[in-house]
Amino acid sequence: MSTKVPQDGTAESRQAARRKAPVVLLIAAWLVPGLGHLLLGKRHRALVFGLVVLASFVTGVLVDGELGTPREASPFSWLATIACCGNGALYFVRLIWLNGLDLLSLSSFPYQLQGGGSPTAAGFSYGNTFLYTAGLMNLLVMLDVSDITRGEKD
Amino acid sequence: MDHLLLLVWHALLVSVFFAYLWRYEARARRRLFLKTLLIMVLGGIACGWLMYVAP
Repeated sequence: MSTKVPQDGTAESRQAARRKAPVVLLIAAWLVPGLGHLLLGKRHRALVFGLVVLASFVTGVLVDGELGTPREASPFSWLATIACCGNGALYFVRLIWLNGLDLLSLSSFPYQLQGGGSPTAAGFSYGNTFLYTAGLMNLLVMLDVSDITRGEKD
Repeated sequence: MDHLLLLVWHALLVSVFFAYLWRYEARARRRLFLKTLLIMVLGGIACGWLMYVAP
């Protein structure tokens, strides 16, 4: 792995560490898997990351996985929600698919949101794993975009 | 549903992902990909066998 910025505590490395990635770029990287790398000109990596996250998400949905949504009196459900939120637009499209466009008008939003899937299906646990993995991978891709824009990675 | 197929598919996706995230040269990518894939698939199968003894 090659690094562009020296990690020796010089003025140059301290300046690079303070540099921030553009928020719009990070949001783009989060919303559409691979878009951040595409905007940075890393077309090959953009394609691979985009396809891997998409394939993982679609597999999760196809084998009856449940999208993480907050549940009342279940704090761990928030962790699943954060992991699944990492999928960006895919997460929201699936939520709208399941709950309809008026999901914000639910009386006890966000606790009534349906995540789909079927707990009795053979692939339920596998599907959840695929959905969480896809979201977490996309969050790592976002961090990678941040590192590249700050000059810490190629 | 083929559980082994899902295990291999998951391992494949994760291995490709980390190979591209952490390595830049083709040879290094291939090595990390194969290493991660083997560890995940064989480790998953080994865990499955170990769970036979669980009630």
